[in-house]
Amino acid sequence: MIENKGFLVGIEKRKKRYNLILCIILLMLLSLICINMTLGTNATYPLSDVFKVLMGQDGIKGAYIIKNLRLPRTIAAVFCGIAFGVAGNTFQTLLRNPLASPDIIGVSTGSTVAAVYGILYLHASNGAVSVMALISGLAAAGAIYWIATKGGYSGARLILTGIGAQAFFTALINWMVLKGAEYDVPSAMRWMTGNLNDIKSDGLPLLIFVVIIITGGIMFMGNILKGLELGDAYATVLGINVNLSRIIIIILAVVLIAFATSVTGPISSIAFLSGPIATRICGKRQTNTVSAGLVGACIVLAADFVGQNLLPTRYPVGVITGILGAPYLLYLLININKGEKV
Amino acid sequence: MSENILRAEQIHAGYSDKEILHGVDITIPQNKISVILGSNGSGKSTMLKTFCRLLCPAEGQVTLDGKNISSINSKTLAKTIGLLPQNSIAPEGIKVADLVARGRFPYRKFMTPLSKHDYEAISEAMCFMGINDLADASIDELSGGQRQRVFIALSLAQQTDILFLDEPTTFLDIAYQVEILDLLKELNQKRGTTIVMVLHDINLSSRYADYIFAMKKGKLICQGTPAEIITSENIKEIYGLDSIVIEDPISCSPFIIPDSRCY
Amino acid sequence: MSNKKIYLTIITGTVILIIASMLSITYGAKSVGFADVIDAVLGRNIENYNVNVVQARIPRTVFGILAGAALSVSGVLMQTITRNPIADPSILGVNTGASLFIVIGISVFNIQSKLSYISLAFLGAMLTAILVYKLASMGYGGATPIKLALSGAAISTALSSLVSVFVMPDSSVMTSFRFWQIGSVGGASNEDILLILPVVIISLIVSVFISSDLNTLLLSEETATALGLNVNRTRLIAAVCGVLLCSSITALAGPISFIGLMIPHLIRLLVGSEQKKLILISALYGGSILVISDVLGRLLGRPGELESGIMTALIGAPCFIAIIRRAKVANI
Repeated sequence: MIENKGFLVGIEKRKKRYNLILCIILLMLLSLICINMTLGTNATYPLSDVFKVLMGQDGIKGAYIIKNLRLPRTIAAVFCGIAFGVAGNTFQTLLRNPLASPDIIGVSTGSTVAAVYGILYLHASNGAVSVMALISGLAAAGAIYWIATKGGYSGARLILTGIGAQAFFTALINWMVLKGAEYDVPSAMRWMTGNLNDIKSDGLPLLIFVVIIITGGIMFMGNILKGLELGDAYATVLGINVNLSRIIIIILAVVLIAFATSVTGPISSIAFLSGPIATRICGKRQTNTVSAGLVGACIVLAADFVGQNLLPTRYPVGVITGILGAPYLLYLLININKGEKV
Repeated sequence: MSENILRAEQIHAGYSDKEILHGVDITIPQNKISVILGSNGSGKSTMLKTFCRLLCPAEGQVTLDGKNISSINSKTLAKTIGLLPQNSIAPEGIKVADLVARGRFPYRKFMTPLSKHDYEAISEAMCFMGINDLADASIDELSGGQRQRVFIALSLAQQTDILFLDEPTTFLDIAYQVEILDLLKELNQKRGTTIVMVLHDINLSSRYADYIFAMKKGKLICQGTPAEIITSENIKEIYGLDSIVIEDPISCSPFIIPDSRCY
Repeated sequence: MSNKKIYLTIITGTVILIIASMLSITYGAKSVGFADVIDAVLGRNIENYNVNVVQARIPRTVFGILAGAALSVSGVLMQTITRNPIADPSILGVNTGASLFIVIGISVFNIQSKLSYISLAFLGAMLTAILVYKLASMGYGGATPIKLALSGAAISTALSSLVSVFVMPDSSVMTSFRFWQIGSVGGASNEDILLILPVVIISLIVSVFISSDLNTLLLSEETATALGLNVNRTRLIAAVCGVLLCSSITALAGPISFIGLMIPHLIRLLVGSEQKKLILISALYGGSILVISDVLGRLLGRPGELESGIMTALIGAPCFIAIIRRAKVANI
């Protein structure tokens, strides 16, 4: 029998609060989608027209722009945002460090290397570039994990090895972009910042499919992730096969990152920001996979809107989100917490 | 209910390049409090890790009711053996009740919310450790002693018959040390939970333990009740320290007074 | 450490440096013979094409030596004052800070002179170093290697986005910056070298001068204070020297990563951690290694060249990982 009901009230309250916050984020996401579909530099279309176009009605003014430019752009923004947010949050939870996101420890850059090579030297199609980015992202993560954990797992060593690998990959990318100077630098540059321009709609169904399946998989592993978060000793004693589950979770997160990267390039800071923001507003009761994904999607949409419409020059989304990282770091700096680890 | 006899047989274990345990046999006394004593580097924490399957022995085996623990399903084992690690890590900002709830992992099915039985176990664990008032506090706000109680509650919520604790009183002041050990004693008396812990304080070990294992350089050198083990000859053997033994006026257990050169 | 071994190390270093310089002058997209080199040094046969090639390569070689030495010593100083084996100008994000300030200078204030480049680079480098170090030392356990590396990487990411903000709208800034952003010793002229030479030399002398204090600082902060060292002053002087060294090089060459990390570790293996020897010998070897990577870059990158910043990262990142692997888990 439950001897005291007091703690139950708290748990219930936090559960309700989480659901409420999820609804609010979802509403925000929907309104951002509407804003991005209706407003734009070329023209503004009423929401009703957008709906009519999406429902397949003919003869609406701006149908081409809505259907072929804004819709793919928005879909890519939402699903890549989810992918980056979920993968970043997963890495941060697993490595127990808010700064340890895949864009800092070399995984995203690992995918980018292959993508840049494919574009600049092989002139590969979008699909082929995605596959290459996926393979090289997985290979990079595998190599980092293998090098760092030979002779015992250590989260700290994994992160440091990742930072070293990041520098190596960045040098490779710089090399390729410099050599490829005369050919296709603008599109390669985009691989270094992350960009939503020229999204082709044929790659999107696969992106949507992958993001949904993998996010589901990570949610399915949620309880295991919660156990791993308590450290290897607790996780083992709680009956978790630590090494196996960690590798599965890392693979899932890398697939997300690699797929999203192959569509938009590495949109910086999303993976790094979404998790901490989601944790800050939702608390730490749950793994925050869903909330981090939604927060990621919101940030990408908002940043893209700002980059396209509100500034004197059009900036790719990656530049705007990259800058968002700065105030967050300052916030961490100012908010010197009582002996918490960073 | 099964017998839950946990036994280490000829354990050789260590880390990649260095063997730390050189053939240790230990049978954990059931429903008792056992303490593993030894100087730094004697292998006591390694022994604990081997029992909890954190470390795979290079030779020998740990058996539960005669079955090698590495062949037992990990969730099943997790319902029998619990551990309070030396350094517990908590996710930043988690609330106490939510943290204790994570001890329910071995009982939970995928993607289902906590069951009524889960809540009962959590409630019981929190009541036992006296942390009901802290349920909605954030773990970062707690003092060292409170934190330690929360983590023990997490292990209690796991509802295991055997509980290992790796230096549960390190970093705590003397009042908290006694408080934690009292709670563990009550746990043992009320529920018959088998408790095995590594402690540094010989006198507290002598007071609270029913049984003591003494280790040195990766070997078990003696075992028995505190009265049998805490003698000045044994202390000299284990720690290389001269001492005299008197009787603890409160618990009537042996109490050592270290000798030193200057006095 | 026996004196004999140290002399041997110094002699080997000097020989390597001489060979590296010779290679740097003779090899490249167009290789020249030694006779032309001697002609060029003596000022004969000015109208010979090969002699001109050589004369163009001399400042590059001199600057390579200077840059390698300065970056290595900067690495030694940073590793000592943060008491952290992976401190290095590139890990600390100092290069990105310098880049940001220079880009702001180019696009907003339209700066032209090399002197303003250097002062802006110094300012940016210093501020970033402080920011990264503060961010890393907050919270539990002080500035551990892991926190230092992460905060450096994170701040670099944020700052390089700010760099893009200033670079992207203006294609002329973009072109001049894109090549600056990847470190190269190729662009330095004699005047540039003369401009930073005093800065580098003074910083080097000061570093050697305070090296005995630095030895004390290597013990714990409490011990150093107890031994009567003014810890804060020593640390400040060393930090200013370290940042001056790397920022003046960065201002001219762009970010050249990992030299400051690799060389001190290598030299420490050879001669131990006595600071004066470490500083001097690191400078010697740092110069040679940067010149060698520049030559390698020219050979590998034919018909053009592979910038030395890329070369040092390609060689240095695996070294960094090796350092991490050697370190005990507890120290990370």
